[in-house]
Amino acid sequence: MLARLAENLFWAGRYIERAEDTARMVDVTYHTQLESPYGEVALAWQQLLEVLHLDAAYGAPIEPLSVMRFLVLDPHNPGSITASVARARENTRSVRELVSSELWEAVNELHLALGARDLARELEEQPYELFRTVSRMSMTIYGVASETMPRDEGWRFMALGRMLERAEMTCRLIDVRYAQLEAMSGPSQRLAAATGEAARGPDRTDFHHWIAVLKSASAFESYRRRYRSSMDPADVVEFLLLEPDLPRSVLFCLGAARHQLDTLRDGRSSRAARRLGRAAASLEFRDVAELFDVGLPSFLEGVQQEIAEVAESIADEFFHHQPSGALHAIAAG
Amino acid sequence: MAGLLDGYRTDGFFDEVVGDDGSVREHYQALIQRLRGLTPGELERRERIRDALFRSAGITFTVYGDDAGVERTFPMDLLPRIIPAAEWAQIEAGVIQRVTALNRFLEDLYVGEQAAVHDGVVPRWLVHTAEGFRRQAFGIPVPHAARCLVSGVDLVRDEQGRYVVLEDNLRNPSGISYVLENRAAMTRVLPLAFAEQRVRPVDHYGPMLLRALQEVAPPSAGEHPTAVVLTPGVFNAAYFEHVFLARQMGIELVEGRDLVVDEHVVHMRTTQGLKRVDVIYRRIDDDFLDPVVFRPDSALGVPGLLSAARAGNVTIANAVGNGVADDKAVYAFVPDLIRFYLGEEPILPNVQTYLLWNDEQRAEVLARLGELVVKPVAESGGFGMLIGPHATDAEVAAMAERVQADPRGYIAQEVVGLSRHPTLVGDHLAGRHVDLRPFAIAGETVEVVPGGLTRVALREGSLVVNSSQGGGSKDTWVLDEVAGVVADGPTKEEAAAC
Repeated sequence: MLARLAENLFWAGRYIERAEDTARMVDVTYHTQLESPYGEVALAWQQLLEVLHLDAAYGAPIEPLSVMRFLVLDPHNPGSITASVARARENTRSVRELVSSELWEAVNELHLALGARDLARELEEQPYELFRTVSRMSMTIYGVASETMPRDEGWRFMALGRMLERAEMTCRLIDVRYAQLEAMSGPSQRLAAATGEAARGPDRTDFHHWIAVLKSASAFESYRRRYRSSMDPADVVEFLLLEPDLPRSVLFCLGAARHQLDTLRDGRSSRAARRLGRAAASLEFRDVAELFDVGLPSFLEGVQQEIAEVAESIADEFFHHQPSGALHAIAAG
Repeated sequence: MAGLLDGYRTDGFFDEVVGDDGSVREHYQALIQRLRGLTPGELERRERIRDALFRSAGITFTVYGDDAGVERTFPMDLLPRIIPAAEWAQIEAGVIQRVTALNRFLEDLYVGEQAAVHDGVVPRWLVHTAEGFRRQAFGIPVPHAARCLVSGVDLVRDEQGRYVVLEDNLRNPSGISYVLENRAAMTRVLPLAFAEQRVRPVDHYGPMLLRALQEVAPPSAGEHPTAVVLTPGVFNAAYFEHVFLARQMGIELVEGRDLVVDEHVVHMRTTQGLKRVDVIYRRIDDDFLDPVVFRPDSALGVPGLLSAARAGNVTIANAVGNGVADDKAVYAFVPDLIRFYLGEEPILPNVQTYLLWNDEQRAEVLARLGELVVKPVAESGGFGMLIGPHATDAEVAAMAERVQADPRGYIAQEVVGLSRHPTLVGDHLAGRHVDLRPFAIAGETVEVVPGGLTRVALREGSLVVNSSQGGGSKDTWVLDEVAGVVADGPTKEEAAAC
């Protein structure tokens, strides 16, 4: 298929996932900070901006409502929910002839639904409904895509984009929670947090925070079934990172992305596929205790870096073919 | 609708359906009988079916001048236009003759010895001052001289019912998608009307076009040339048609940025790498095709495309520079070009045309401007035109000034009292002016799709049929050689089922 159309579908998949995951992360930050002292609140939003790599772009005093507006409805922030949805819609529109009309309608409906709401007021008064709508409608979009699109190249690029984006965003979700936990604790508590002691202690707030993280990854109920009533941060991190059967775990997403990429490369040698395989393997054979030894934030940063490199390789291999003549010219120049 | 044609008046125009004596022409009798069997409510119901078909198919054109790009449907009248076999044979032969001569002229002009110019059949200065003339096309070969690969020749019928050529469209004629969609809709809305008519099909257009595109592939392309449709993109007025054609042919619809030229070879960027392209059916105007040789600010085109064409590595269809031949002043010379290149008398005549740089003709025209039609030579879509008898004194005076300031820029023609066709207006039939755009495809040979696009001026008395100016369309039926079987009047049950 035409590279431009494949790239548009790849990014449509990413943008929709980004909108959904941003909604999940703003939601979890908003609801956990409701019960925190003010100083910690500001810190929580600062850290959210940092894990989203948007702290520099934000560049204003940290004030919860203002950060929320930036992340949800700021048209100048390309990572905001409304901007992501608008770009997903633009991309889907440009490939309208390739996707099912149901898919186009579902994407368009999300865009129109956001346009019809008084988002600024909802953020001030009661943002829960908004986050829920974004997440629900994003899931609807993938459901519709899954039920109406043939499993052709276009579908695979869209699914690939979505899975890479989700893997990255789940890393960030763990990252933001962990950073907040660390910042709130002294060095001894940090060690305790890392080993799970804190959760077993009397800190009820912290307990709720981890529940919120699980819920924001739609993983709370399955976590409960697996670990019963234990709420050990190490278990939560392991679950969200390494659980092979959890649809939002990083390992699951990388595996699903790998499957799509292997079909797409169709037997050809692929740097992107090798990188992706390496990233997945580095997770698969990892023990969670080891992760805490090397330092969770730097490990998560490493995984995100690998995902970014996979995306770059995909662009080189599938989207941005250059004539060899031009390459010679560049090499000669 | 027993009283289908009660009170119908032809008002002195040639009517496609009703003869001078008020009787229904023979080739329309079966259809009219069929329709007479319908109740008025039934006709309305059929109209609703038609509207639903067009809406759901998204058959629209975009009207410029609005940010959002307003999409409108091109309304199809429920009454088809019918052309008998013998009449069509003459149109077909005339269109083939005309397109063949125009292709010869263009080929000779851009890669030949320019015989028509040397011999003074067309003045050299006229050719060089045509807005559609492109120096850059010199030396670009087109196999089989099929420079006008797709042509739309606009025909009208005068007061005597004679078919005359109003203009040629040799650059990017659009409208074929309506021909095919109209037919698809009619077979659903009035299926039984077809059953007794032996209407010639049109749905082979896609394969026909693809075959022609492959026939004009450069010799270097090998046995299975790759053809693509090049569109300016989703905001273009005819985007629907570009999508439609790509689908009909099963080939890629590309934009300029999907193509890249490397060492004079055109490639498209696919997920599997660069893939060589041999033929480009472009729906982008010359000026936007290649920023290296044409408008440098064009982001729609492909840098280096013309050099690839000149190197014989890709064929661009329609060819670059065709606009010189559908310039309305050069149009006046087409009958002479037919005589010159083919040694034949033109089968389809031109409308009487006056060339305004000629002092004598200009003086005559200015004296009776109010009786004539004046057109800018390079416009299309009916824009900038003056219809003398319908214009105010001020409009006539303004046109006179424009003509005097730029005599090369305009032509004048006698008003043709375009033929009329009964058209459903509210709950009754009324006569409305129509034209006919048959589509010719040139590859190794020239073929014409049976019928074409019949456009109808929906506003009472209007002579302007363009879609952008309140025009509609009709499905156009060409009857097969075997005369249509005229059935006895349908029974009530048949009428209900038709």
